[in-house]
Amino acid sequence: MTGARTDALIVGAGAAGSLYAARLAAAGKSVLVLEAGPAWKNEDLVSSLIWARRLRWGGPPVASGGDNPLGVGFNTGWGLGGAALHHYGTWPRLMPSDFTMKSDHGQGLDWPIGYDDLRPFYDRVQEEVGISGDADEEVWRPAGAAYPLPPLEQFAQARLVSAGFEKLGMKTAPSPMAILSRPYKGRDACIYDGWCDAGCPIGALANPLVTYQAAARKAGARFVTGTYVTRLIQGSNKGEVAGVEYIDGDGAAQRAEADVVILAASTIGNPAILLNSTGEGWDGGAANSSGLVGRYVMGHSIAAVYGFFDDVETQNYLGVSGAQRTNQDHYDKTSLGGGAFGSLQWQIGPATKPNDLLGVAMAKANLFGEDLTRFMDRAVHHMAVMFGFGEGLPVRENRVELTDAKGPGGTKLARVVHGFPAPSMKLWEKASELGVRVMDAAGAADPWSGPPASAHLMGGTIMGSDSETSVTDSYGRCHDVANLFVAGPGLFPTGGAMNPNFTNHAVSLRGVEHLIGNWPK
Amino acid sequence: MPSASRPASDRRTVLAGGAAGLLLFTLGGCDKLMTAREAREQGADFRNLTAQETRTLEAFGEVLVPGATEAGIAHFVDANLVRPHADCLLTIRYLDVPPPYGAFYAAGLKALDDLARASAGKGFADLDGAGAADLVRPMLAGQMSGWNGPPAPLLYLAVRSDAADLVYGTPDAFERLGLPYVAHIEPPTTW
Ligand SMILES: Cc1cc2nc3c(=O)[nH]c(=O)nc-3n(C[C@H](O)[C@H](O)[C@H](O)COP(=O)(O)OP(=O)(O)OC[C@H]3O[C@@H](n4cnc5c(N)ncnc54)[C@H](O)[C@@H]3O)c2cc1C
Repeated sequence: MTGARTDALIVGAGAAGSLYAARLAAAGKSVLVLEAGPAWKNEDLVSSLIWARRLRWGGPPVASGGDNPLGVGFNTGWGLGGAALHHYGTWPRLMPSDFTMKSDHGQGLDWPIGYDDLRPFYDRVQEEVGISGDADEEVWRPAGAAYPLPPLEQFAQARLVSAGFEKLGMKTAPSPMAILSRPYKGRDACIYDGWCDAGCPIGALANPLVTYQAAARKAGARFVTGTYVTRLIQGSNKGEVAGVEYIDGDGAAQRAEADVVILAASTIGNPAILLNSTGEGWDGGAANSSGLVGRYVMGHSIAAVYGFFDDVETQNYLGVSGAQRTNQDHYDKTSLGGGAFGSLQWQIGPATKPNDLLGVAMAKANLFGEDLTRFMDRAVHHMAVMFGFGEGLPVRENRVELTDAKGPGGTKLARVVHGFPAPSMKLWEKASELGVRVMDAAGAADPWSGPPASAHLMGGTIMGSDSETSVTDSYGRCHDVANLFVAGPGLFPTGGAMNPNFTNHAVSLRGVEHLIGNWPK
Repeated sequence: MPSASRPASDRRTVLAGGAAGLLLFTLGGCDKLMTAREAREQGADFRNLTAQETRTLEAFGEVLVPGATEAGIAHFVDANLVRPHADCLLTIRYLDVPPPYGAFYAAGLKALDDLARASAGKGFADLDGAGAADLVRPMLAGQMSGWNGPPAPLLYLAVRSDAADLVYGTPDAFERLGLPYVAHIEPPTTW
């Protein structure tokens, strides 16, 4: 049991949920956060990519299909901190052009707001959380305050690959990282051991435990773990939500009621809860008069590019799991030509441990036996790597939907269906070719690129200006249900080529401040 | 429902062993926390895999990543298959195969064994090195005629990753590769 009715009930204690909890509690609201997973603490963040797998979604299974299935198992989290507990902290802003894709190009979607609406929130979040980078060096960066911290240290592989970009007349800059290059607000600085994927127990990387969750607890928000929310409870009419049903730690069905409900249960969890909610006038789920709940799910394609520098120790095991440097010369959505459409962002020199999905051994998954042994001996000291993040064009067919498989509390389990449209696949192809050219120019031996992969989960509960073409308004308030909010990258109508969490924070801050100022009657 | 309903105290026990790089095995009727390598050396019982599956898994792991058998791949996989999905440490979690994973390993190892018998008249574990490599080579591309099991690329990637975890992903392995482990929170014992 979670006790008395609260002002606000938040589903999910990840990135967005923690920020909402901190601000609402600080504004004097009583706040209950229901989180499906365990109560992780910093001590649980053991430096091992094997043990790190416990941090991924461990609740009711989610199926994944389509021509380019999104890696649900890899790209999700659970428990306090959510995916952001073990995310890599690469925090670029979206570009102004990301907000006007449909107006500019006649395809995809527009946001109902522009970059200028979000800019002040980006600036405030980066000050609160601490971002390391060099705003001047990032010549592509839109207007905004300089970063509060200098860039992170750079290691050999980043310098080597950057030389390739320069040879081709392109530019690189330190990646903007939500990882502290210096001690900041009581948190320690990064020690560059490259274990970010396993979570950062010293709190140098901005995981929610050390940022907004800590603030939320101080302000009185209550977090209850092991509580899996199954559906929303309708209020006195279809335009109102009364609370949620959930399964508690003993497996019993429970209810929690609140004046306002905020779904912050991830890009997959939010539509799953909405679609599983039934009530008078909630045909096809809650807040779904548009039929768009679950639609326009997006991911970024990844062009993984590698090369050997046999005379140099590339130090590829050091640094951070995200990136050391970035290049965004092909951010213009049509700049790669040849039928490719979408923005491209390079992330240069991520720390690469020998095992795991993004590890050295996977860089040539076709090798086995003695060939693999020889490859490993060479690669762990001499390989360099970079990832090209390509924009996935938002299309309606990409979706989170319910299957016939039964989940807890009489719900149906979710499935994600995703395929990159042809122009997005072309973008991945062009990025892979370009990447190999860069490695070659850098003087790498035997450069190669990997098979298509993807990262990040966005869309599915898109914001927009009306209830026919979107699920929520620009603050995340559901058009159909006045006291129901959605938070997270699921709100994004487009995802650019940028890692989503900085924008997630900026959108959440804008949303929660609006909610506090316009509390539903 | 998968372990969201398990009380936190149970989970803490698992995590305490996990931090030490240990898994729970049964030896002489008693439960004991050991590394996968120790469990193999001491002949700990298997809880999920059959004797046939164990032989095939060790042979397959060894073909993919030399050293996997001694590192205890069969015990590593077995111990994780009896854990609830949320506590499973295997890469298969990342491959979007629906849990429980035991059925996937059983069907996949059987398919590999059946294919070996159909093409060479003996089980996979009894093939010589070249014969085993010939069978394994087309797996990642999924170009397997006569394959009757879960997608061969997924089985290849799952078992290759399990083997790579043990042979390349532990503090011992880093030392062998000449890499500093530089842990924030070091697993107190090796595997
Ligand atoms: C390996 C990895 C690396 C990443 N690196 C980066 C990066 O470098 N930069 C970047 O910008 N982004 C990165 N991301 C993405 C980033 O972590 C996410 O965009 C962000 O965490 C999303 O925030 P969220 O609040 O929507 O979801 P989450 O942070 O995932 O939180 C959602 C929470 O809701 C809970 N939940 C779900 N369903 C229910 C339910 N029914 N009931 C109760 N609780 C529920 C979950 O358990 C989870 O804790 C990375 C992600 C991963 C997995």
